[in-house]
Order: sequence, then C-alpha cells, then structure tokens
Amino acid sequence: MKATSHKLLISAILLGLAFHGSALFFTLEMTYDALVHLFFADHYANNWFEPWNYKWYTGFSVMSYPPLVHQSIAALSLIGGLKFGLFTVAISSVILFITGVYRFSLLMTSNTTVAGYAALLAVFSSSFVETLHVFGQLPSIIGISVLMHAMPPIYTWLKTGKYAFLFISLSLIAVTVTSHHVTPIFGMIFFIFPLIGMVIIDISREHVNSYKEVTFKLFIKNFGKQFKRNISFGLLSLCIIIGCLLPYWINSKNNPITQIPIPHGSRDNFLEITSSGLVFFLIPWGILLFLLPYFFYRYFSKRYLFFGLSFTALIILGIGGTTPIPKIILGENAFNILTLDRFTFWASIMVLPLFGEFIYRFVEGDLKALIKQKFGSVYHRLIGVLLASFFLFTTIFTINLSYFRPFQVQKIKMLPIANFLNQDQHDQWRYLTLGFGDQMAWLSTQTNALTVDGNYHSARRLPELTTRAVERLENSKFKGVEGIGSLQQFLTTPEKYRLKYIFSNDKFYDPILYFCGWQRLQRLENGIMVWEKLNVPPLSSILPKVDVASWQKIIWGIIPLVTLILAFVLNLRFLFIPRLKTDIMGVPEYLKFKNKYTVFSKNLLKTTHLWSFLLCLVLCFGLYLFYLKNDSQRTPENVIKAYYDAIDFKEFEKSHQLIDPKSNISFSQFKLEIAVSDGLLSSYAKLDALKTEINKKTDSLVILKVDTDWITPLEKINKTEYKTLVNRKGKWYLQPEKIDFDLPPNQLYSNNVTGFFNQGRRRITTEQTHHEDVLKQPVLEILNAKLVKFNNHYAIIGEVQNIDNVPSDIVLKGTLYNDESKELATYNAKYHVKHKLMPKEISSFRINFEGIAWSKVQDSIPQVFNPDEFTPVELEEQPTKFNLQAEGNVSNSDLYKSVVLSDVQINSKTIKGTLFNSGLQEITIPQLLITYYNKDKKLVWVNHMFLKNGIKQQRKQYFEYNFAENKQLIIINEDMKDCYVNGLSNTAISDKIIPNRIFRHTRNELQKVVHPLYKYVKIEMNNYIANPK
Amino acid sequence: MKSKNSLFFLFSWLVIHSITAQHSLTLLTQEKQFVAGSVILLEFKADHTKDYQLYCTNSYGSTLITSEIKNNKIIFKIPGHISNKKGILTWKVINTDPPFSGKVQIISKERPTSLETYLGPPSIEAGNTDFTMLVVIPTDDLDNPLKQNTEVVIKHQFLAMEKKEIVFTNNLIAHQNIFSPLKIGRMILSSASLGLNSKEYDVNILPAIGINFNIFSKRNHEYADGNQITTFYTSIIKDKNSNVVSDGTFVDFFITNKKGNILKTSGTTINGIAYAKMIHPEWEENWIIKGYIIGISESNSLEINYKQVIEKFDIIFSSNNRTLTIGPLISFMNQMIPDGLQVKLSIYKEGELLNDVIENSKDGFVVFNLNSNIYENGNYVLKVTTAGITKTFRTIKLW
Repeated sequence: MKATSHKLLISAILLGLAFHGSALFFTLEMTYDALVHLFFADHYANNWFEPWNYKWYTGFSVMSYPPLVHQSIAALSLIGGLKFGLFTVAISSVILFITGVYRFSLLMTSNTTVAGYAALLAVFSSSFVETLHVFGQLPSIIGISVLMHAMPPIYTWLKTGKYAFLFISLSLIAVTVTSHHVTPIFGMIFFIFPLIGMVIIDISREHVNSYKEVTFKLFIKNFGKQFKRNISFGLLSLCIIIGCLLPYWINSKNNPITQIPIPHGSRDNFLEITSSGLVFFLIPWGILLFLLPYFFYRYFSKRYLFFGLSFTALIILGIGGTTPIPKIILGENAFNILTLDRFTFWASIMVLPLFGEFIYRFVEGDLKALIKQKFGSVYHRLIGVLLASFFLFTTIFTINLSYFRPFQVQKIKMLPIANFLNQDQHDQWRYLTLGFGDQMAWLSTQTNALTVDGNYHSARRLPELTTRAVERLENSKFKGVEGIGSLQQFLTTPEKYRLKYIFSNDKFYDPILYFCGWQRLQRLENGIMVWEKLNVPPLSSILPKVDVASWQKIIWGIIPLVTLILAFVLNLRFLFIPRLKTDIMGVPEYLKFKNKYTVFSKNLLKTTHLWSFLLCLVLCFGLYLFYLKNDSQRTPENVIKAYYDAIDFKEFEKSHQLIDPKSNISFSQFKLEIAVSDGLLSSYAKLDALKTEINKKTDSLVILKVDTDWITPLEKINKTEYKTLVNRKGKWYLQPEKIDFDLPPNQLYSNNVTGFFNQGRRRITTEQTHHEDVLKQPVLEILNAKLVKFNNHYAIIGEVQNIDNVPSDIVLKGTLYNDESKELATYNAKYHVKHKLMPKEISSFRINFEGIAWSKVQDSIPQVFNPDEFTPVELEEQPTKFNLQAEGNVSNSDLYKSVVLSDVQINSKTIKGTLFNSGLQEITIPQLLITYYNKDKKLVWVNHMFLKNGIKQQRKQYFEYNFAENKQLIIINEDMKDCYVNGLSNTAISDKIIPNRIFRHTRNELQKVVHPLYKYVKIEMNNYIANPK
Repeated sequence: MKSKNSLFFLFSWLVIHSITAQHSLTLLTQEKQFVAGSVILLEFKADHTKDYQLYCTNSYGSTLITSEIKNNKIIFKIPGHISNKKGILTWKVINTDPPFSGKVQIISKERPTSLETYLGPPSIEAGNTDFTMLVVIPTDDLDNPLKQNTEVVIKHQFLAMEKKEIVFTNNLIAHQNIFSPLKIGRMILSSASLGLNSKEYDVNILPAIGINFNIFSKRNHEYADGNQITTFYTSIIKDKNSNVVSDGTFVDFFITNKKGNILKTSGTTINGIAYAKMIHPEWEENWIIKGYIIGISESNSLEINYKQVIEKFDIIFSSNNRTLTIGPLISFMNQMIPDGLQVKLSIYKEGELLNDVIENSKDGFVVFNLNSNIYENGNYVLKVTTAGITKTFRTIKLW
C-alpha cells in the first residue's frame, strides 16, 4: 500500500515537472502577471534594501506587495539572470503544489494511495493550470501550496500539543504570508478554521465508537478543552502574519487604496458576460462540476462538516457577480478590491483530496465494483474514458487558451527600445508605452528610464490615474472606457511628468498623439513607432521619494528569505527523522482516521448520474444559444452584427460573404473599395454599440435602421445608416453600398515643397548641448489672447503666428489667476491649435482648463467611455487674469499644408463645404478650426471639428459643421500684458520683428454668417497624415 | 592678603604680555603681485617659532593652511588651486593679536592659450536692426582671463566685405554687437588675440518680413467643370532690402466667390514664389483672389471667371417614378462630364425637407433610387441640383 502511494507521488512529481516544465517556457511570459513579478524581482536584484522604486508611476513603494517570491527570483537571478530565476521559482512552485496536495490529501483521507491519486490529478488540475499558465500568479500558487504543507503539522499540533509541530506550522505560515498576504488571511478562514473543527470532531470521535455518536454536546465540551491550544495557535499565527509583513501593513495604513475600483471579470455576472464565465468558472471547475454531488456528500459528512461549510462559501464567493451574495458577504469595498477568482481557485483545490478519493474508488475501489455490478464493466470503462478525456481536454484547452483567445500582443523585441532609451541620454525623460500589454513590465526591467505608467495598479499615486478605472494607460483603449480620458491628460501636459517619448505599438493611438502636439521621431527596427514631444525639460537629478525607517527596510529585506530558510530547515529535519527513527514521531495522528471505502452509496451514484445528465442538458442548451447568436445569416440583425464585427476586426473575407451574391461584387473589388477609404472612422474606430431597428420587413427584404456608436481615439461618433438586406434561399444578405466615383484630374503630377532637416548635435559628442549646435527658438507672436467663460468653464482663446523664418512647433501654456494673483489652474492647448506652423502661418487656439475627471468619489463615473468627455477644472475662486506662455521649437515634421477649402455654403445652423487635397500626401484625419467673431470682428470663441473620412490626393471631401451652441459667453479679460514668447515679452518681440503689423488682414477676409451671437467666422484647416511618404 | 593679590595680578600681566609678544609676526615677503601658476610663499618672521594657521580666501573659495618652519621663518605655501587663479588673495593669520592680515594680487599670464568664444543668436534678420553678439575671452593655460584692456581683433567676412575691428577686454571679456547687413547670407566670424587665432564661427543672416507682391493664375481652361485645377502663384516675394523671403513662408490666398463666401487655399514659398492650387468650381463663378502674408504684406486683387459647362440636363423618371436618371451631363465640347460631378436630390413632402441625397456622376449619368421602404407611396416635391442649376418637380407621385 505504502509503496504504491510513493510511486504515485513520484510519478506525479515527474509528470508535473515534465508537463509544466516544458509548457512554462511557452506560456509564462505571455501571462498576465509573471512579468510584473519579474519587474519586482529586478528591483530587488538591484536594490535589495531600498523599497522605493522610481521606474513606475512617478515612484512607488515595493512594500505594497509581499516580497518573498520576488526576492527569491532576485536571488536566483544573481546566478543565471532574471528569467532563470523566474522559471526556477515557477518550477519549484509546481513541485510545491503537487507535494502540497499530496500532504493535504493524506491529512484529509488518511490514505496514502488516495493522496497519491490526488497528487496525480493535481498535475492536470485545470484551475492550477489556469492560475500558472494563463494568469501567472506565482505568489498565489506558492502561498496556497505552502499553506497545504502547513496543514498536517497544524493538525498534529492541535491534536497532540507537541511544540515541535507548532513551530513547523508557524514557520510554514510565515512563508505563506511573505509570499502572498491574501492567502493566509482567507486561508485562516477557509482552510484552518475547518481544520480546527475537524480536529475537535476527531478528538470527540476518540471518546466514542463512531462518528455517529459524536454529538454537539461532546463537540462543545472538547471545544472548551481545545480552546487554549486553538487560541494560542490563532494568536501566534496572527502575530506571524502581522510581524513578518509589518512594513507591508504600515505601508497600507499610510497609503490606503483610495482609488476607483478597476473592473475585473471575476466580479461579472457570468451568465451575462459569458467570456468571464468561461475563464472564471467553467475552466477552473472543469470536470469537477460533474462530481459536485460527491463533494457535497463527502464534505457534509460529520467529520468534514466544517470543510463542507467552507467549501460552499468558497463556491458562492467564486461565482462573483452572478449572485448578489458575495457583495453582501464581503461588503461593497472588499468586493471591489478583491479579485474573486481566487475563491474558485481555493475551492477547486479544497476538493482535490476528494477528487483523488473518487478516482481511487472509481479505478480500484468500491465504486468500480458498484458500477460493474449495476451497469457492467463496459459502462465502467466507457465512463472512465469519458472522464479522462474530458479532464485532459479541459487541461489542454486551458494551457493553450491564449491560442484561442490571445490575451497579449505578440512578443515585442525590447532591445531596440532599450538601446534607444540608453543612447543620447533619452533616459533623462520619462517614457510611455502604448499597446504593449503586460510586456511593458519586461521593458521596464531592461532600462533605467522611468515611465509614468506601470503595471501594478494598487501602487498608483497620481490622481490622474487613481480616479479612473484604468489598469494601465498603456491599454487605455480596452478596459474601457475612461482610459483615453486619462491618457489625454498625460499627452496634453507632458511637461508636468517630464514625459518626452512614447513607444507606440498600436496605431489606434496615433491620431490622439498627433492632435495633442506629438511628432513621430522614428520607427525602430522592431516596428515600434517612437513619438516625441518638444519643449519638455528633463527630469531633475534628485527625484522625490517617500522614505521609510531603516528598520523597516532591513526587516523587509531579511525576514522573507529567513522564513524560507527556517521553514526549509525545520521541515527537512522532520521529513528525514521519521524515516530514520520512526519510533520517535510515531505514525502521524491523522492517519488514525482511516476510511475503509467498502460501500459506495447507491443513492450517491444515482444523484451523480442525474446531476451529470442535467449538467449535460444545460451545456447543450448553452451551446444551442451560442449557435443561435452566432449564426450570422439567420436573421437580418445577425447579418448586420456579423458584418460590422467583421469590418471592425478587418476580416474582409467574412464581411464579403455577407454581401448579396447577386450584386456581383468580387472579393477583390470589395476589398479594394474598403481599402481606398481611410480616415478616422474606417481606420481608427472601434465599434462600441450597435442598435438595429426594423423599418420595413417583407419575407425577402428588410430595411434596417442601424445606429452605431464608434469609439475613436479623438471622439465618439454616432452614425445612423439605413441598410437593405435580402433573403436568398433562407439566408440573409446585405446589399452593398455605393462607392465614390470622383475622378481626379491628373494621373501623375508634381509639387515642390521645402524640406527641413535638423542635425541635432553636429559633433559626435556626449556633451549635453554643445552651444554652437543649439538652434534659436523660433519667434512667435501672440496676436490675440483673451480669457472667456463659456457654459461655466473657462478658456483662453486667441491667435498665434510664427513670425520667424523656420517652421515651428507650438506649445501654448495658459495659467489662470484671481484678483490677488493666486494661481488657480494651468493647462496646455490640446486639439484647438495647429501644433506645427510654417513661417508666418497663423493658428487660432483655445486652451481648455481641464480638471482631473471624476476626481471626487461621489462623481458618478459614466458607464460608457466618451473620448470627448470634458471635465472643467473646479476653481475655488473666480479667475480674472491669465498668463500665456508660447514656446516655439524648430520642427521639421508634419508640415503638410495642402488642404484647400474649395466650397462653402452657410445657413443659420450649419456650414457646409468641401475640402480638396491639393498635395502629394493622403490626409487621414482632416481637422477644421473654426474661429468665431462678433459684429466688431472681435474674436470670441474657437471650436474645432474632425472629419470622419480622410481625403486622398486630388480628391474632395464634403463636411457639415454645426455652429457652436450659443449659450452664455463672457469675455473676462483681454489684457495681453502677461503674454510671453519663449520667455520674453510678447510686445517687445512683435515691436522688433513686425513693428507695423497690418491688423486689417485678419479682419478683412472673414466669412460672414447668420447667427444670433456670431457675425463672422474663420475656417482653418489642419490635418493628420498617418503614413507620410 | 592685599600683597598676595598684587603679586597675582603682576604674574598674570607678565604671562599675558609674554603670550601676545609671542604672536607678533612680521611679513618678510615683499611681493604684492604674483603670476598665476607660480609658487606663492608667504614668509614671516616670528619671535617664537611655532605652527601657525593661515586663512586665505579668493574668489573661488576659502581654505586654511598650516605653516612650515624653515630657518626660524614661518612659511605658508599657498596651494595650487588658489595660486592658479587670477584675482585678489586675502590672507589672515589665525590667533594673533592684533589680527595680522593682508592681501596679494594674482595676475594672469601674459599670453593667451585659448579664446573662449560665444556667439548668439546664431541667426539674425537682415536690415541693420537685428544683431548678434560675439563674446571673446582670451584665457591663459590656467583658464584665467587675461588682464584688462587686452587687445582682441574681431574679424568678419560677409559677401565681398572683410572687416577687422579691435576691441579691448573690459571686466574680463571682449565683446561686440554685430548688426545685420542689408543682404542675406552667411557671415563668418573669427577673433584673434596676441597672435592666437580662434576657430570659425558663423551667423546666418535671414531675410526680413516680405513686402507687397503680385499674384497670378494659371489654368487649363476657363470652364467650371469641377475637375481641373487652377494654380495661383505669387511674384517673387522680397523684403524691403530686396532679399527673397525665406523658403517655406506661408502665403494665404483668400477667394471671394459670387455669393460673397470666402474660399481659401495656401502655399509656401520656394525662392520667393508660393504656389497654391484650387479645384475648379462646378458652376459659373466669378472669383476675386487676394494673397496675404498675414499682418505683413498683401497682393493685388486678381479676378477670374469660370464659364458654366452644363447649361441643361434631362431627368427621366422610371419604375413608378422611383428611379431618376439624370443625364447625360454634357460638358463644353459636348463630351461627357468627368466622373465625380456632384448631383443633389432634395426630397420634400408636404413642404418639409425629408432628405438630401448626394451622388457623384459616373459616365455622365447619375441614378437615384427612391426605395419604397423609405419613401412611401404619395406625392413628393423633388429638387435636383447640379452645376448650380436646380430643377424642381412639384407633385411627383411615387407608387
């Protein structure tokens, strides 16, 4: 008996190492968390005793996460590098987990063979596979594994009171807490409390002859007897939990998590959001779902009663927002901070001993006999094959989940980026990555440069980040929602964060970067586009940090590894001693409560069958619903949905299949037609919502009104279209749309333009700025500037001209003051300015004073993202004065000006017109800046509009602009004495270069409009070119 | 008791006197001026030889030096980092009564080994008003600026002119404001001092703001076909000193059309000429064009006319009046109009505008389909507009 169990355990370990060991190298780096842990490890490898990390979030403390796993990786990295450390720790965690399950199962079942089976099954447990290979939660795995290792000694201590076991269990709890703080806290509740209950029942059992005779009275009596030991153990554990991580608790008290909760799939209603249901319910449970009746039956037997209660609680907590119970139990706050998938993970681990037991009984025990007797041996084998194949299927599916549903962008080569940051002192500024996914953590470990972003959201400090439910700026387009709003603030006022470089791996962000005044620097050899912002001062050499006492740093650096070494020594001792001198330790206490496994309950078998049948029914029904929803041509609505989805994901072949075959559009023609349409809507929009309404329906034809909401990086677009669908042989098809027939006049044509090139440093030297190489800042002139109040928010509007001889990049920074010259707010011009001006070119501008959106907790966060969302800054006092700083820097990019306003028609509400692209570049996003004037031709307001479609060379694009709503608009201050250009007085500059300015020029050529408030407008054109040639 | 006290005072007086007497020093070193880099020794004669400390200060900082004793002389050796620097060195022997202090002057060496030069701004505007400043600091090998009134020759070359001027250092530096010439180009500057020549520096002289200019137009034909392109261009724009304005200067062209609306195109100059393009209108037009470098200069007004190409067009109703075929749209030589002419169909019902449908012509025709699912049977008013001509059909019945 004993020999088989060891064989089973050894084969489980070998199998586990072979299976997970080979898979890890393909999965671990693509998981959500592994690289974050690697980043922390990198921190410890470089600064073991310094908890402050400058690299992320303008600085944060690593004392916000238990350090053991990170420190272990860091220690190992000294031997073979960070990744060696990571994989070594990951492989160790596999061994720890398998042996942990073995020991836990042995404790629970008192049967070495059953424990061996459980260990074997643990290797392929889908929840373990998911946690390791999909989520990469190493600390969590190590935490629970060590906790399982701790349970036999805890049992023995509680039962026998031998101090040796107390020390072992406490040493293991110390390791648990230093690797993952949440595990021992909830582990106390869900694993150790039931264990205490079990010990008391076992003690009671020893007083009587069978578990049946264990009464509540007896239980209470023994509870009293055991109370001292239990309470001493509880208090000591509490001391360990607090003591070992003392700096962590101090840090959390000083910096409480006051951020807006970040949505997590595990809190969703799994029935509504089926993808969350798959990842957080179906996958971790897998085959265990079929055996639930068995687990409940066994765990609600008297001995395991407390485990039964704990198991039930874990299941309920694990199903997240599907039922309201978790929210009620945990409370609103904890519910929104905790990720609930861990409860399912623990529940699935808690049943592993019973799963082992079931399989043991099924393979060689009483269940096999019962099934053979009732249904015959063929049925037994068939069920065996089914169970095994379904079990392995879930495991294989889980480990390869990223193949079916990629959750990371393709692996990015980091070396070119690291080289870029290290050369030419580019690391003197902060950088930001866009579209890197969790790989941004890997970049952070490879460079000394700092980023404003980060990948450990609990440590965020900037209000711009903590007030948004955004995990990272990096992926702001996904989660949701208010991400881009957060990103915008960083892009508009990068000086504040010393943010100069952006690495973009996602062209979705390009327009917002451009219109916030960024320019493309170069494309690195790994395909990453580097964007740069001019006029950002470098980081100061001394950065602020929140320091902690030295004793905290020392215990944080020493205790975790000491607990590990201590636990290792203590456990090794007791692993070997029993083998050598069995008589000292005797047979472990928990092996005294054996179950004979002779009679498998017939009713239980029946229930299991019934349950499995029900489950199959539900599964089939679910699949059927899934089919109905996804059969794209079943209903006209499905066709529309499928068509837009396909277009959204650029699956042109699929979308072409939905086009009416009788319209005779070939796939190549269809693709061509789509390919020629570029612009905000066709290249940068993500479909957010789609609403269809049937206007007219016959058997063969349906007209649908399709309302679509598109999210683009710049604004939200609502579009209403009428689509005609036809029914051909029971399938619905979409009628194609018409294309633009406009024919440009020239086949080949030429255009002369002036090109510019800035050498930067002429000399190959590391000198920061060789003074001979510094170009003069181009001289600008602020022609006009005034502070206005519009619908309760303030803005500085005006006009600026580049009066130099070189093209210039423009940065406009406005500051508001009250009567006592107290500074109230500062912001930069965002969309409402042409950021690049040719010599003598003019641009109108408007500086909006944006606050940090939703900065108050009581502000309700809108459910749906609106990139246009504007939160006016809240000012305590009335601004009455302003200061405007214009900075020019020589720029040689994005100087395309060949947009022509070729027709204008005005009515009382709109301006309709035509833009014509007269140059050599294809305009991706045209923008109009509309400046409003009153009857005295005085500037009163500036507005803008993005055109939804691009303009190809020598082609036209129509636009329709609605006048700004004429609500209250008050001009507060027109005094321009505090306007500065490159730090010098605006008046002095203009007097020198253009002493006799002809003011009527700006007034003569204004477009007259019929509008109650505005009498004239000026239309200026700006444009974004996605692919400059 | 009294005598005891007197004795004590006498003794004290003697002691004090002897101590102060010990501290009386005499400076032996006669020189008050040293050349930077030379060894500076301050020698003192003292009644009693013992170690003294000297506190010395110059413009770079202060330090404390301990004396050496040689031949009954107290000698202080001023360390190199002080003796290498030009300026006044103030010293004071510590713990003497009365305080014993003095100063010596350290002067720079005779000849410069480098000319520290700064020139800025690197570009200025032509026309004698803007200037750049050249600052030259002749320094010796210890980085000390040479003495007051050292002669510095500033040389510059611009076009055919080569000029030499002599300035003298004042307060350590020699500087000169160099005013821009009337013409644009590159000015090369250098300096020399006591036989040492600097390297070459340059200043770009850029043109000043432009003056008024003329504009012209160029087009393939004078028809309003909505397809061809008219190019507007300027004369060579120059500043008041006849320098061609810098390349890339932005010129706005405002076009006032027949309705009084303002259209806009723009160009940037190359060799003073800015080209701006404009697509032909789709209907008869009279454009008045004026070019501006805004706030700075402007052009003459240019007037051009476009002739109507489509005088009339036919509309054929078919399929229960639900299909409108417009065309042929014929251009000036009776050829089909090039694809892309805009045709607008406005649909009114009971005096209310239901929809504007815009289509582009293809092969001279445009077809509108009024879908029965959108436009129910009934009477409609249809207006077809193209090339500035509107045809209205009252009470068209769709069925």
